[in-house]
Parts: sequence; structure tokens; C-alpha cells
Amino acid sequence: MILYTIMPEHLIFPTDTAAYEKQKMVYYDGIPFLVQKTDTDEYEIVQNLSTNPFHFLDPKYAPGSRFPMSAATS
Amino acid sequence: METERYIQQEADEKPETKTEQAAEAIQQLGQTNIPQMTPDTNIHCLTIVGQIEGHIQLPPQNKATKYEHVIPQIVAIEQNQNIEGLLVILNTVGGDVEAGLAIAEMLASLSKPTVSIVLGGGHSIGVPIAVSCDYSFITETATMTIHPVRLTGLVIGVPQTFEYLDKMQERVVRFVTKHSNISEEKFKELMFSKGNLTRDIGTNVVGPDAVKYGLIDEVGGVSQAMNKLRELIEMKKSGERKMIQ
Repeated sequence: MILYTIMPEHLIFPTDTAAYEKQKMVYYDGIPFLVQKTDTDEYEIVQNLSTNPFHFLDPKYAPGSRFPMSAATS
Repeated sequence: METERYIQQEADEKPETKTEQAAEAIQQLGQTNIPQMTPDTNIHCLTIVGQIEGHIQLPPQNKATKYEHVIPQIVAIEQNQNIEGLLVILNTVGGDVEAGLAIAEMLASLSKPTVSIVLGGGHSIGVPIAVSCDYSFITETATMTIHPVRLTGLVIGVPQTFEYLDKMQERVVRFVTKHSNISEEKFKELMFSKGNLTRDIGTNVVGPDAVKYGLIDEVGGVSQAMNKLRELIEMKKSGERKMIQ
């Protein structure tokens, strides 16, 4: 399929709203993270949003790490 | 608290038990604990990556810098007394003009020393963000694309929209020329030049050229940027001391 249009792609193929709800921003140990819910009802870190460079050295705060949902504060 | 306890524990343990524990950790988890760095740092770092998201939320598969994340962080940096300087790292393809200008204005009005460094790319609306800092660096291989402001989608009321876009572009040009050494004439020449981008208007400026045109202050990497930031922090401190005396 070839499209010839000035319309942006996201208007032609809108993303499923469920996809937006998967990710959210929460605080864990006072650090902001972009997370997504896992099947085991935990949060998996997608992105560390901290501006403190030392928060990136701890493997516990690295993308892919998980923490219990109860540990998150918003 | 955490680190104190950690140090206390470490002091209490005999050397043999410590090596035993480390060996156990390697066997069981395949990893050892790295010593914790101090959580206090006087330099914070803000990364502007992917697309700069505007008022329409981008689908989650996009890498995006969201203004609702960045702006409160800049406010927090301004307010936190332990933070003395900010390093802004850019690798962005551009994005929403208003969101980009909002971030650029926030950085330009920050009272603490700021240094930006363009890695990879700082295209379109990344240009005002790069020049908004007190001092700017670009790596030798990084590029910045300068081109006119564009719009995709349905347009209702063409003459009005054209005028609106023209004014928006003027805001970008004015901001860049105010915060860097490039002249308006040169910037517009780069913006509207033909033949540099295949069948498109604009220029792709590579690291040393960006410095030559006066858009960016210096070619350099992370160590130069950090040194400059420390120098600016020192300058600010000595300036404050003089004020008190």
C-alpha cells in the first residue's frame, strides 16, 4: 500500500487508546520513572526521567528493572 | 541513612566473610554489588532525546521528550540549592515549535550556569534549545538541520495559517539570533537555501560549520562541556563573593 497524502500518519492510523494507558509516570524512591505494567502486576522501568546523573549508575533504576506497584508513589 | 548503614556493616565484617559473601553473590545472582555513589551532585543533566512532543500525545513506541516532564524538572533545578549547574544533552530530530520554544525559554531564563552539547543531531527546534544555554558545544560528527517551519495535516483558512506560520518562524529566528552569535541574515540564508538538502529547502550544518557560522560556541565532547560548566560555576561563585564584599 502506498499513501500519497499530506495527512500525518498518526491521523490516518490512530493508535489504540489502550497503548497509551500501558505507560505512565510514577515516582519510586523519589525518582521519576516512565513505567509499564507487567503481567505479574509489577512496574517495569521504561525510562529513567531523573536529571541526577548518579541515578543512572544503580542497576535497580535501569530500564528493564522491575519494582512492586506498591512501592510507587505518584 | 542507607549509605551510613552500609559503611557500618562493612566495617564490622571480617575480610573473610566479605569475600565469601561476594563469591556467593556471584554464584547465586551472577553479579556483585557496585559501591553506591553519593546521591548528591552539584551538576544535573537534562537529556532532550527523540521527538519533542507537543500538544498531541505521541504513540508510546516513539522516543519523545515531553514538556510536562522537562518543565517541572527545570523548575526543580532552579529551586534546589545543591544544584549549581545544568548540562543539557541534545540528540533530537525536532518536533513541536511551541513546546521546543517553551523548553528553550525556560533554559535561557535559568539563573544557574547551563552548558549544552549536541550529540548526533540537534535538528529543527533542537537549534533554539542548543543555543539557549550559556555556552554550547557540538561534537565533530553531530549535525543540525535548519529549515523553515512546516505543518502537516488539514489546513482551514490558508492565508491566516500562512501568516501564523510566518510569525511562528519569526519567533524561532529571533530567539536563535538573540542567543547565539549568528546574524539573522546568515540564519535565514541557511534556512532558505536550495541545493543542500535534496529537493528541499534548508541546510544540514555539521559540527565545525555550526561553530564557523556562530550558531554554536565550540566543537567538543563531554569533558570540554563539563570543564566549561565547572568554570562557569566558579565564575558565578566568585562573582557572588565579590558582591557580598
